[in-house]
Amino acid sequence: MRIPCPYCGERDAHEFAYLGDATLTRPDPAAEDAEARFHDYVYLRDNPAGAHVEWWYHANGCRQWLKVERDTRTHAIAAARAAREADTPAGDAA
Amino acid sequence: MADRSSHDPLAGIAFDRLPPAGAYGAPGEPGVVASTAEPFVALVLARPGKAASVVDRLHRAFSVALADRPHAAIEGNTTVIGTAPGRFLVLSRTDADLFGTLRAILGTDATVTEQSDGYVTFDVTGDRVSDVLAKGALIDLDPVAFHVGDAVTTVIAHIGVTLWRSGEKSWRVLVGRSYEASFTRFLIASAAEYGLRLENKGSEGRG
Amino acid sequence: MSRAQRNRLEAGGLVDRSQVLDFSFDGKRYRGHAGDTLASALLANGVRLVGRSFKYHRPRGIFSAGAEEPSALVELRDGGRREPNTRATVAELYDGLEATSQNRWPSLGLDVLSMNRLVAPFLGAGFYYKTFMWPAKAWEKLYEPFIRRAAGLGRAAEGTDPDHYEKATTFCDVLVIGAGPAGLMAALAAGRTGARVILADEDFLPGGRLNAEVHEIGGQQGAAYAAHVAAELASLPNVRVMTRTTVFGVYDGGTYGALEKVNDHLRVPSPFQPRHRFWRIVARRAVLAAGATERPIVFGGNDRPGVMLAGAVGTYVQRFAVRPGRHVALFANNDAAWRGMLAAQAAGANVEAIVDVRGDVASVLTEAAKAKDIRVFTGARVIATHGKKLRTIDVASAERGHERLYIDTLAVSGGWSPAVHLTCHHGGRPVWNEAVAAFVPGATPPGLSVAGAANGSFALGAILKEGAQQGAEAAEALGFPVPPLDVPHTSEESTALQPFWHVADSKGAAFVDLQNDVTAKDVGIAHREGFRSVEHLKRYTTLGMATDQGRTSNVTGLAIMAELTGASIAETGTTIFRPPYTPVSLGALAGHHRGKDFRPVRLTPTHEWAAKLGAVFVETGPWLRAQYFPRKGEKDWLETVTREVKAVRSSVGLIDVSTFGKIDLQGPDVGTFLDRVYINTFSTLAVGKARYGVMLREDGMVMDDGTTARLAPEHYVMTTTTANAAKVYQHLEFCLQVLWPELDVSLASVSEHWAQIAIAGPVARTVLSRVVDKDVDVSDAALPFMGAIEGTVMGGVKARLFRLSFSGELGYEIAVPARQGAKLAQALMEAGHEYGITPYGTEALGVMRIEKGHVSGNELSGQTTAGDLGLGRMASPKKDYIGRVMAGRAGLIDPDRPSLVGFKPADRTKRLRAGAHFLGLGAPADMAHDEGYMTSVAYSPHLGHWIGLGLLKGGAKRVGDRVRAYDPVRGEEFELEVCAPGFIDPQGERLRG
Ligand SMILES: [Zn+2]
Repeated sequence: MRIPCPYCGERDAHEFAYLGDATLTRPDPAAEDAEARFHDYVYLRDNPAGAHVEWWYHANGCRQWLKVERDTRTHAIAAARAAREADTPAGDAA
Repeated sequence: MADRSSHDPLAGIAFDRLPPAGAYGAPGEPGVVASTAEPFVALVLARPGKAASVVDRLHRAFSVALADRPHAAIEGNTTVIGTAPGRFLVLSRTDADLFGTLRAILGTDATVTEQSDGYVTFDVTGDRVSDVLAKGALIDLDPVAFHVGDAVTTVIAHIGVTLWRSGEKSWRVLVGRSYEASFTRFLIASAAEYGLRLENKGSEGRG
Repeated sequence: MSRAQRNRLEAGGLVDRSQVLDFSFDGKRYRGHAGDTLASALLANGVRLVGRSFKYHRPRGIFSAGAEEPSALVELRDGGRREPNTRATVAELYDGLEATSQNRWPSLGLDVLSMNRLVAPFLGAGFYYKTFMWPAKAWEKLYEPFIRRAAGLGRAAEGTDPDHYEKATTFCDVLVIGAGPAGLMAALAAGRTGARVILADEDFLPGGRLNAEVHEIGGQQGAAYAAHVAAELASLPNVRVMTRTTVFGVYDGGTYGALEKVNDHLRVPSPFQPRHRFWRIVARRAVLAAGATERPIVFGGNDRPGVMLAGAVGTYVQRFAVRPGRHVALFANNDAAWRGMLAAQAAGANVEAIVDVRGDVASVLTEAAKAKDIRVFTGARVIATHGKKLRTIDVASAERGHERLYIDTLAVSGGWSPAVHLTCHHGGRPVWNEAVAAFVPGATPPGLSVAGAANGSFALGAILKEGAQQGAEAAEALGFPVPPLDVPHTSEESTALQPFWHVADSKGAAFVDLQNDVTAKDVGIAHREGFRSVEHLKRYTTLGMATDQGRTSNVTGLAIMAELTGASIAETGTTIFRPPYTPVSLGALAGHHRGKDFRPVRLTPTHEWAAKLGAVFVETGPWLRAQYFPRKGEKDWLETVTREVKAVRSSVGLIDVSTFGKIDLQGPDVGTFLDRVYINTFSTLAVGKARYGVMLREDGMVMDDGTTARLAPEHYVMTTTTANAAKVYQHLEFCLQVLWPELDVSLASVSEHWAQIAIAGPVARTVLSRVVDKDVDVSDAALPFMGAIEGTVMGGVKARLFRLSFSGELGYEIAVPARQGAKLAQALMEAGHEYGITPYGTEALGVMRIEKGHVSGNELSGQTTAGDLGLGRMASPKKDYIGRVMAGRAGLIDPDRPSLVGFKPADRTKRLRAGAHFLGLGAPADMAHDEGYMTSVAYSPHLGHWIGLGLLKGGAKRVGDRVRAYDPVRGEEFELEVCAPGFIDPQGERLRG
């Protein structure tokens, strides 16, 4: 698999570390139901067949965390953005 | 080592020692010459929003044609390499107080970290360099795709490196100090068919 | 005693008759020529029996002339280079080649185990599943040993492989797979556009069928035309022709796996050359031009040596100038086979008969055959064969009844199966094309198109055109301007064929899969027993599961199943193919990463210094660290380690701790950031001080620990454990880039830049004071416990000084630039000489931390909370941090959770063992009564007996109890006293001294 790093260019997946679902947001630790929310945040994952937005860390490259849109069936990658840029509204269009 | 053929380029070389300077692999004119150096190194990290200013300040101080992208800007004794957005490695052959120099140039625009003892560089030259490095890196090293001045931060034979092309037939690889022996073994194994001459300039390379 | 190559034709072929190569088979010596394969050279010498089959040990010969070979499997070379199951049909002949037959005992000619045929019913379809149903005892004692001896595929290499292997990566615009007519044209069309092209072929000679058949292309002989194109390709700087290179797999993102057999055509590899090279080829586009594989017709006795694919007969005659036998007949269902046989006849083969299942064959063919005195049987079939090696065949036809023909070579052709394998590697399923009676590619991997016979186009003119077109289109899609390419003219050829699979009324075992010995009858059994889907058929009969992946058998097998079920072949469908296309040597996948080069090793700054002192090293992650420093006369490691510990506790010792991860953190928000990643508070840490910190994962478990010091208001330096250095750095980057991008914090790993030496012991300060420069004050007042200052040592060397202790003694860690590390170690040795300063290793360090009750990797198992480790009180209740919420879950704060305590053996002479489980006194030894386990043990020189740390249910409140250590692995069980985890100086007076 090859991942198009926005800084380094297209690189083999060997250079990256995988984390998983990038649509999750760390819950508010002060919320009343924080424990339940953290439980879901830590443990619950969808396992979609198809489009998936996920975190990849370019460990052997620029060391950026990338938000990668990958099709889990074909491994086709539609987009990859750096985490810092991905948080802008344009990035959330993913 | 008895378990390897006499033609095994790594036969008889202790795996936990720095292989000595000399000729390895195929006899005759070596296809690749590698020499190590220990330049002064510092890491520059632009503070948030200051990448452009850092580029500008480095450009003015060292006359390097620098941009915030993965490339190596070389001028005189100074090399600046982009390794991540707003992140630059600065190498100097001469400036023993590179850290202080950079602090003065960059002020509060960037943090500077001393790395002079963290790295060793391999200057690798010859007709077969890209063939040798292709045995480790998963990078398109064909001279038609990897131009002089291009730089990549990647991994070669499981060793993290920053690699740039400093000339038509010369490449430079920056390797963590602790990996020097293992990286040298990679070079010996991979350049064996072309012949390798290994030179060790050590800290002489600094000035 | 080499004999004449009695079956070598006088003229023709693409072998170099000026180069004579000696080789041997089963000890007998023969001669061949450069350009031969082992198979062609054997046939040239009249050797037709080359092996015994897998299950039934039936005599087998050479069946094909390519990678599809199911029968002619031999052992090549010997000792560490021995290579079983080598297909003689692709093994390039070299001078001194030694091959032996396999699966025979005592000899190829007389094989005792061929009686397997008598127990054939017992080894039939599904025998694996049926025999597994038998009593286990019988299986172990009787059946398995028998089956193992009887069914085999040669012997593995003995000893270490003496050769070396490589891997490499290359990139191109267009990868062309296969250098037959379609591939050559595709490479030429793409290459002329200036695109970077790689043309890969498993053969050593480009041309494919052009070298094996007789054609005229643009006024040239086919083989000459292939050579001409190959020469032009070689002259183009943007084209790389890789012969002896098999593309074996298609992976994601246009990545292809290929194996280059760099030196298999030599007896031993050339000096400094690898034997094989594994290529990762990244291609923006690819054209698959892998050709097609001929398939046989199945009939009784179709496995006798002498029965051969028709295309192979043609190949041996045309390319190798070898007559496969003296009296040749053809059994076919298609026109192409006729043409091949007529050409073979013209080249000197003695073709005596053609048997075609079709009643109606084009008269141009029948007339041509008759003109050459070839007997023609139409509407006919071969119903039996005879002879250990083929001697006669029985032919049945409506017209002439039964007739016995005295022939020794039977060429068989049931049509062609496109080599669709690589198109399946992304899940694509081949589809049945009735018009060409073959499975053609279905969905192809992204960027890959198919041309020529691999695509089901069998006529040469169409193949050339399709190749040129696909090559041009691939380059054009990438934006390369495509100049016009004239496809040379070639004569029209008929590809007429009537599907025919199996002579149902033939006599004797009719083999579908020659390599796995699967017969038509086995397919029938599978049908009868309900294993009718193609996937079931494959697994139940093992059809197509041998190393040849059923190249010559899959389609026939499922066609026979389709006949039995009455479904069409399209409805029956086909299994798909996985990588690798042909076997790949494991050595090539490893490259130079074998033995100690399995992965890179990291050397500490003091490695050579320690080696000179005689250190024994241990791998800790990627690092080599000094484990202990034995001295002459010490009888074992324990004596050495005990000495080292005593030296530290009574005087002073030093150890290199450079392997800890070291991360510089700078910026206005570092304090805030650290408060969020550590359970304790760092924003309040004074400049010049260090603090021990614990960080959790978000699930509440401890991730790592270490000390972090504040060197300046906006500058901290963190240490991590050796094992977790990279993981912690990655975690911190995640926190900064993903969770809290608003924080202004810069991270820089400084692990490589700083060497760090720890000195510890009652006189450590005195020793330290002798290496620091004059203006550096290391007095207790200036550098108190947990102090951290910057200064210089050894006359101007920049240093960071930390007063820390892992051992429980007065201790310091001194960081200097890495290249000064060994010099610092030596300076400390000299400074401490009068105190008997002792270098110690990781073993002594471990003993001292256990004596002190400090946790380490064994306790930071990923399943322990801060509370479990007795560190719960460090957690600040005033802030949030990673893992806080989840660490508060009821199950994780249960006071009965196993938590850290110390252990002493009740009988002080007993040796404790890590991994032993705790049981209450008198409790049965079962999981329900398990109370935890021992994590770390050491012999304590201080106490004079073994001590341990462990996680015990109830933890601290059990101090004073007795439990049993139960170690079924070592068969030990004895009583322990539970104690507090600190065995020495629990008040910490030593380290504040
Ligand atoms: Zn990157």
